[in-house]
Amino acid sequence: MGILDVAALKILSSAAVLLFTTALLMAGAKRISTCVYLFAFQSAVLTAQVFATAFVQHSPEAYAVGAMVLLVKVLGIPYALLWLMRRLRTPHDVGTTVGTGNSVFIMAGLILLSFSAVRLYLQDFLAVEVALSAAVALILSGAFLMVTRSKALMQVLGLLVLENGIFLAALVTTFGMPFIIEIGIVFDLVIGILLMGVFAFRIRDTFEHLDVSRLRRLRG
Amino acid sequence: MLLLIVLLLPALAAVGVMAFSFRQAAALFALGAGVSETAAVGLVIWNVHTRGVLTYGKYLRADALSAFFLANLAIVFVLVLVYSIPYLRHIPAGRFSSPRWFYMLLFLFLFTIVAVYLSNNLGLLWIMMEATTLASALLVGFYNTEGAVEAGWKYLVVCTVGLAFALFGTIAFYLAAVRGGVSPELALQWPAALQAASSLASAGSLLKLAFIFLLVGYGTKIGLVPMHSWLPDAHAEAPSPISAMLSAALLNSAMYAVLRYDAIISRALGTGFSHGLLLFFGAASVLVAGLLMVVQTDLKRLLAYSSVEHMGIIAVGIGLGGPLGLYGALLHTMNHSVAKSLLFFGAGHVREGLGTSDMRRLKGLARVLPRTSAMLVIGVIAIAGLPPFGLFVSEFAILSAAFTQTRLLLGVLLLVMLSIVFGAMAYQFLKMLTGEPRSDQKMNNLVGAEFLAMAACAVGLIAVGIFMPAPLARLLHSAMAVLQ
Repeated sequence: MGILDVAALKILSSAAVLLFTTALLMAGAKRISTCVYLFAFQSAVLTAQVFATAFVQHSPEAYAVGAMVLLVKVLGIPYALLWLMRRLRTPHDVGTTVGTGNSVFIMAGLILLSFSAVRLYLQDFLAVEVALSAAVALILSGAFLMVTRSKALMQVLGLLVLENGIFLAALVTTFGMPFIIEIGIVFDLVIGILLMGVFAFRIRDTFEHLDVSRLRRLRG
Repeated sequence: MLLLIVLLLPALAAVGVMAFSFRQAAALFALGAGVSETAAVGLVIWNVHTRGVLTYGKYLRADALSAFFLANLAIVFVLVLVYSIPYLRHIPAGRFSSPRWFYMLLFLFLFTIVAVYLSNNLGLLWIMMEATTLASALLVGFYNTEGAVEAGWKYLVVCTVGLAFALFGTIAFYLAAVRGGVSPELALQWPAALQAASSLASAGSLLKLAFIFLLVGYGTKIGLVPMHSWLPDAHAEAPSPISAMLSAALLNSAMYAVLRYDAIISRALGTGFSHGLLLFFGAASVLVAGLLMVVQTDLKRLLAYSSVEHMGIIAVGIGLGGPLGLYGALLHTMNHSVAKSLLFFGAGHVREGLGTSDMRRLKGLARVLPRTSAMLVIGVIAIAGLPPFGLFVSEFAILSAAFTQTRLLLGVLLLVMLSIVFGAMAYQFLKMLTGEPRSDQKMNNLVGAEFLAMAACAVGLIAVGIFMPAPLARLLHSAMAVLQ
């Protein structure tokens, strides 16, 4: 067994721990920029997983997917979000409606929940339990961030984390969707983030803040 | 090749319209492009009718079901274009809110919906559904007011999250198909998955999981309760031609996605599971939206909740299934599109003319805007499902499907809610139309093109209600044959 084989297997077996850590740290983060760096790290872990899978499966398409994820999620989107934060010049706190300490506890609970949820379907998915649990935990943590953080940029980040979870679920269960579909999904994601950036500027210009929990003109 | 033309024409038109900076020139170009697109859609329908299924490459395919929904889309789009020509004078000039930006986004929106109907691959279908959100988000926020920005943001975020769940559902479906023995390249191709449906039963629990996520995800775009929160805001704050596009074209496209999956799942697992879920969400939508309509104070929000209610009725029709239920559901998508376009056109004219769509402040409309009021009255009678309009036929079919299947509770619920909705709408509109006008503002009455679009809707609704046009009936029956 060559050194690369060992490295690939190690990545696949230990990635989940790192992903759980990023989810917990994000729940505890107080500044948006911290969350952006954590998201970049989380995506880097995912990229490593994609490359490891590509190596184990001998799949050239998966290498291309990995390169795309590296470019878009590790470099492009975090850079764009940091640029957006500088340009928007608004307060950098995440706008918690649930305190960060409690959020970490709730996040830990969500991780346990994802383990028990995955157990029900383990027969069907035939996947590594830990990896699939990590995917579900990321989906839940993304949804949790979107619900409990009131700043517009944190909602974007929550969505990105959620999307990472879905991407991981696809990776561990099916070794990825057909290549052209992956490209389309990433393209949609990039355009989506772009539009959310446009709306972030518009929200700031019309309301002079970015706290979406204070947008409550439209009710009923 | 024809499919490629139908798909790319709107995209080219979106690029081309950017060359016109004058309103009239842009409108004329858009009208020309829209008419050619309609002609191309007509050719597709004709070819599907004579030659059966059309395919182009691996990813584009049109059968009778796509043809039916494409016909619906083309009708709505031409009406919207005609209505937009005079409507655009209300759009204030801004850097990104000029007429050509409006038309560019509108054509991109059309492109994404056409692509949804032509997708052969369920992954591509998801990509294009997500693209419909992206193309229309800026249109929803087009006015750049506080309300429009808030509605646009909410629309973008809620629908993207909803569709993320649909993506998870698509992945689970892919996995179920692969485990059911379909080869990975074919697992997302709709015809292949349908053909292999009976062997998918072995991955039953996974398939059920997939459908739940798909229904929640695409149901967000359909506006089924409880995922409907974006819908009233977006419909109310968007420019009125866009409200019509959202209600009459976008919601149908999401319903179409659910129909495609429902066909596979009910063939694999029997109709009980997927149809039960559709009945549940449909009935919940009718109930909640119907009750909320009673307390609305804004005209366009009232119409938006009516869209939720009608999508619920369509979901119930699909859930009841059988020839009668499906016939009613498909016909209802068409009828609802036309009736709701008429109403949104009218509401748009009221809002732009009198500066508000708050029903508490609108009085004596019949005197200020006689022609618009007449059209609104026709629209309300039609949308309430009274004869001689088309919606009566389709709602009657769905109700009789409910009673012949002895689902008495559901049938009674529908009947009660339809009466409540009729009462609410009649009350709200009578209050608006009668009485003394608040000020003696004499405003310009309907302009030719606006009146033309609305009158065309009214004539179409009566035509379907009194005698079913033979081509539509044929198209409808071959669309049903695809699903059964």
